[in-house]
Amino acid sequence: MKESLQSTQSVIGRNIKKLAKGQLAGFISFLILWEVFHLLLNTHTVPSPMETIVYLVTVPEKVLIHCCASLLRVLAAIGVSLFIGVPLGILIGVNETCKNLLSPLLYFIYPMPKIAFLPIFMLLFGLGNTSKIILMIWIIIFQIVLSVRDGVDQISPVYFKVMSSYCATAGQRFKFLILPAILPQIFSGLRISIGITLASLFFAENYAAAYGIGYYILSAWSKMNYVEMFGGILAIGLMGILLFNLLDGLEYLCAPWQKGKGKRYPAN
Amino acid sequence: MKKDFINLDQVSLSFERQQVLQDVNLTLEQGVSYALIGKSGSGKTTILNLIAGFLKPDKGTVSINGVKVLKPRKETAFLFQELGLFPWQTVEEAVAMPLQLSGRKQEIDSGVETLLRKLGLEKHRNKYPQELSGGEQQRVALARTLISEPDIILMDEPTSALDATTKEELQSLIREEQQKRQATLLFVTHDVEEAVILGQNILILKENGTISQLENPYYFTEQAREQLGFYEECIKLRQLIKVENNI
Repeated sequence: MKESLQSTQSVIGRNIKKLAKGQLAGFISFLILWEVFHLLLNTHTVPSPMETIVYLVTVPEKVLIHCCASLLRVLAAIGVSLFIGVPLGILIGVNETCKNLLSPLLYFIYPMPKIAFLPIFMLLFGLGNTSKIILMIWIIIFQIVLSVRDGVDQISPVYFKVMSSYCATAGQRFKFLILPAILPQIFSGLRISIGITLASLFFAENYAAAYGIGYYILSAWSKMNYVEMFGGILAIGLMGILLFNLLDGLEYLCAPWQKGKGKRYPAN
Repeated sequence: MKKDFINLDQVSLSFERQQVLQDVNLTLEQGVSYALIGKSGSGKTTILNLIAGFLKPDKGTVSINGVKVLKPRKETAFLFQELGLFPWQTVEEAVAMPLQLSGRKQEIDSGVETLLRKLGLEKHRNKYPQELSGGEQQRVALARTLISEPDIILMDEPTSALDATTKEELQSLIREEQQKRQATLLFVTHDVEEAVILGQNILILKENGTISQLENPYYFTEQAREQLGFYEECIKLRQLIKVENNI
């Protein structure tokens, strides 16, 4: 047990180093491209990356407060979406009646522009954090429900037969079969959801907000302070890197059998 | 005198209006091994599924020890053709699962250890199925089947995907474990050699649903494969299958 933990830790350590090197190279390439655009366009609306980074470094606490406010909203939205979406997805996946009743509704609502519901949420839940978080939940929950439902659908019927042959109860079926089987789908749904939630911050935080990176970008835009605006955009990107890496690490810990496929953490 | 254990009485079953089994009668004795052979689509796997309690007959009854089979029972173990090993379970977890599910947690440590050693899986205990070879996966599935000490073992083409050497190795293991545990073994196979090696009795399922039962004189012969008589028996059985199926 101790040996296995040590080996997992050393694999994680090696992979973090490898990942950091790869991501640093990617980030530098992105900055070079940005610099090329800045030089080609030669307009103050696209500041140079160096100028933006210097700005970010000079006012780190200011950006950090806005990032933390947004991060809390994003995490709350993801938490609630998982809490509701995972059981709902499982129910739709295992129960034929629920599938027939709810799938058409999901397909109907899923492609709708969710931002259009913002005035309704503002009316129902006020202008504070609640309406902002509910808007984000409304945007991502369908992705999670559908990922989980598809995950349950993809479980091989033989696995269910194996569980039946051991006379497993519904609870045992969930613990030994359904939950581990859908874990990779939950993570892939989360990955998409994080991307969408970060993008939706711009809309969710554009009213009655004093803190939040969406508000920060919009405020800079209205002041025509493009360096500050790009600083905010860069901060969202960095938040994305942080969240995606955290999620990758979490997936590696919760679904270690996936490493055998060499997806993100090839076994050494 | 062995006693009748599994009984199929006038069993009929159809899927989507297609008759798969019609008025099948079969009696299997306790502690005996049976090879079930027959053409593809003749309903061999369906018979296994009926005995396992996965399917219910449209007509007739399936009973074990005089009790009608209405759902899967804990004492019946099934080794699936696809194996059904969960990719998220290590070898150790997979083998321990049946005991965990039946609440026999105190038996896990000793039971798993004994079986892993017996089946040569100790060094693979922390591996996932996708990290194992076909033969090793088959042995894990066999260990998972045997750990709950079932009185009936059902196997659907247990060695179909294996190379000749691994196949022989696994057949010896199955034979040894069945004899030791005195469980009733019913296995489906397309391989006549396997039927002769593992089956004390050979059941030939014909398309009209009747089953011919033959005693196998070579079952108890040690190293049967090295004897010419064994191959003569295989040839005889092949010819008999052709006659029974009117080919």
